[in-house]
Amino acid sequence: MSLLELNGITKFFGKLAALEEIDLKVDEGEVLGIVGPNGSGKTTLINIISGYYRPTRGTIFFNGKKISGLRPDQIADRGIVRTFQSNVLFEGATVLESMLVGSFLQYKTKDWQSFFETKAYKDDHERVVGRVIELLKTFDIFNDIFLPATGLSHGYQRMLGITMALIANPKVLLLDEPTTGMNHEEAMFVVENIKKISEQGITVLVIEHNMKVILNIATRVVVLNFANKIADGKPEEVMNKQEVIEAYLGTETI
Amino acid sequence: MPPAEIWIDGLVQSCIYMTMAFGMVLVFSILGILNWTHGQFYMLGAFVFYYAITTAARLRFHLPIYVSFPVSLLVSGIVVGGLGVLVEKLVIERLTSPGYGMLYVTAATLALIFFFEGAAGMSFGLLDKGLATVLPGVLELDSFSISYQKIAVIIFTLVIMISMYIVLNRTKVGLAIRAAAQEPTAASLYGISVGRVSLIVMGIGCALAAMAGGVMAPVYPINPFMGRLPMIFSLLAIIIGGLGSLTGAIVGGIILGLLNSVIAYYVSYLSEFVLFLLVIVILLVRPQGLFGAPIK
Amino acid sequence: MMTYIDYKTLLPRTVIGVLIGLFVIIPVFTTSVITLSILISSGIWAIAVMGFVLILRTGQFSMGQAAFMALGGYASAILTVNLRMPFWPSFLLAGVISGIIALIIGLVVLRVGGIYFSIITLAFGEIVRILAQYMEGITRGVRGIIPPPPPTISLAGLEINFAAGNPVPYYYFMVLLVAIASLVFWQIGRSRLGGTFASLALNQVLAEHQGIHLMKYRVIAFTVAGVFTGFAGAYYTNFLSIITPLMFGLWQSIQIMMMSIVGGVSSIVGGALIGATVLYTLGRYLSLLPIYNIQYLLFGAIVVLVLLFLPKGTGLVDLWGKFWRKVFREPEEYEMPEETEMAVE
Repeated sequence: MSLLELNGITKFFGKLAALEEIDLKVDEGEVLGIVGPNGSGKTTLINIISGYYRPTRGTIFFNGKKISGLRPDQIADRGIVRTFQSNVLFEGATVLESMLVGSFLQYKTKDWQSFFETKAYKDDHERVVGRVIELLKTFDIFNDIFLPATGLSHGYQRMLGITMALIANPKVLLLDEPTTGMNHEEAMFVVENIKKISEQGITVLVIEHNMKVILNIATRVVVLNFANKIADGKPEEVMNKQEVIEAYLGTETI
Repeated sequence: MPPAEIWIDGLVQSCIYMTMAFGMVLVFSILGILNWTHGQFYMLGAFVFYYAITTAARLRFHLPIYVSFPVSLLVSGIVVGGLGVLVEKLVIERLTSPGYGMLYVTAATLALIFFFEGAAGMSFGLLDKGLATVLPGVLELDSFSISYQKIAVIIFTLVIMISMYIVLNRTKVGLAIRAAAQEPTAASLYGISVGRVSLIVMGIGCALAAMAGGVMAPVYPINPFMGRLPMIFSLLAIIIGGLGSLTGAIVGGIILGLLNSVIAYYVSYLSEFVLFLLVIVILLVRPQGLFGAPIK
Repeated sequence: MMTYIDYKTLLPRTVIGVLIGLFVIIPVFTTSVITLSILISSGIWAIAVMGFVLILRTGQFSMGQAAFMALGGYASAILTVNLRMPFWPSFLLAGVISGIIALIIGLVVLRVGGIYFSIITLAFGEIVRILAQYMEGITRGVRGIIPPPPPTISLAGLEINFAAGNPVPYYYFMVLLVAIASLVFWQIGRSRLGGTFASLALNQVLAEHQGIHLMKYRVIAFTVAGVFTGFAGAYYTNFLSIITPLMFGLWQSIQIMMMSIVGGVSSIVGGALIGATVLYTLGRYLSLLPIYNIQYLLFGAIVVLVLLFLPKGTGLVDLWGKFWRKVFREPEEYEMPEETEMAVE
């Protein structure tokens, strides 16, 4: 049984189909790349898995349990956490504050325990802070934890977003174009870190525009075009498929 | 069925709410904010109108009423419209610049309510002023009668709505306004200054409110707090019609005025209660109102 | 949108202690009815402001907070006068009733956000006002209800007499009420709850995707605010020994908002105390002047000036923070990460 299973996912915006009858299985430990030209429905797919949109039709199963129709926070609680395409951060918060506020799911104690500052909460808090710092160190953002998050460079802001997703204890991490707008070095910085994440046993689903990045990290690639899945398989095989080349060349010429 | 007078009263209210709601929605569609001070521009308009028309009489210009009335209206529109432009320039523009949340500009326009009411109270006094002697007389028809003052309100609203239609659809300024409302970024690429359009729209919106206040001055007594209720009711009209839709503002205004008047005929205090409840239900069930404007 | 102030780095505990001590012994120096009643009223409004700011922390701009004061006030007055309940149980019930209504209303309306929420709460507040005005059988309409003064308490040989003309007991009870409210709101701001609330205001979508249940936390904030605002209303009613529908209307809701802006929304407790005291005191003294309405003009002007000229509208509490930083020459450095707590409040 696959970890994440999408059955016949369809999404309409008005009369426009953003996704049509998408079937997709994601196995544990994979790094699945989802590619496709602009407007092919990649981001809609992530928005649907993470619960931001409800699918018009179709169901999603995670660990054998249905998760389609749940709210984003419930889905995050089950273990599917996403990042955003642009730099979406807590406005005005420092790096550390963002991480602590984002650690909502990392805490084991309840709100009332935090209100009364019980011993259990203090221990829990210490553990969370330790975990936050450990993560920040792993991904090389530790030096600037008291800076406003928006003061970080583009690559580090994006990495902070990914770290915030990680602090929520994901089993599946959904990355929405993690390297857009980056130069080569920044992109490689993010790529190395995604590899690190995958090594920790987290399943990664990554949407990407940059083919080099996908070929570098993905163990499997799915290609979307005009709301439909047109290819699914090993990166090299998929990239040589006639339909995929057409879909890409088609958009390149526009 | 309520008697004709009730419907006429409702229609007169409709006219005022429509004019005010139209201005508020116009401002909302460009600036993206609700101008909570709109009712105070209505109040200031009434005061300016009052002083314009009484001064004209005191100086013995001996102008016929069909000249002095519209001229005084125009004066109040220009004076208060200019004030609106000033408020936009000095306060709203600075608080809507990037980095500020909605909180700041909402708080500022709410605070300006007190500022203008205080200013009006200090300069004009708290006592009611009346203009009942302007446009006296009643038009008697077979089945009902209607005062000339109310006829003036209805004619004024028709003129305003027609001229707004012409301005928005037939002039360059109107084109710029509509472009900036629909596609602010694209509009600025075509050389339309959204900042300047904001000023123009704020001026027009406040001028409309002021002239509505002026034309109502002979019907109701004038005092510094007279703007509160029309503002709230125009807000309700906007919600009924759909926030962001100009058609919605007009239709919402008509519905609200008539509804208010007719319900009040049967159970006097229930009308406000019903209207507020209606608005809560609309916001919960269909926040885009009747005319389905996109939610910003 | 917001920056938060950590008082521990600004104010030594001793200074806070001295300030609180000064407030407690004020009646030793003056029993002037005007001074004390200004302080009592400021404290009561400050509680309502704290509630408003807490809701604001979840990203919601409520325009109906005064309605919860009305609910608390009417609940307490109706229970004592119409149902002849003793004072203290009815006072406690007033807060509970206001809180329950806040919970129910919150569950229905809090899923609406932004300007729509403001308009819904405005309409709710007006409905409460209309009901109070026209359900004459229960509320006596615009004539209002006049509750009797709270009974005299004998405590260890000390007679605490709430009879009219003596504001001192009312003052001490206000200090107690404000202290409890401040403690609760302060603790909420400091705890993880405060951070959770703030995350909703700072970026609702991101917060939801980090696993925060939007509605749950909005409802918690709205209900806590409702409880304390209800207590404030009940106490104000008993202090003035009257409640009428026009005491807590839309314009009072807007005044609560204005107090929060002047004090600053960057700190729930400090901002509320400063804002309410400054504006209320100013209003009371200005209304003694022979110039009608000058207080409205100044209120409006002060709020707009604070919004325009203090950094991002953070209010007087920030100036006060800067002042202390200068006085104590606190280095503007941060603590080491190992000791860091939730850096909110």
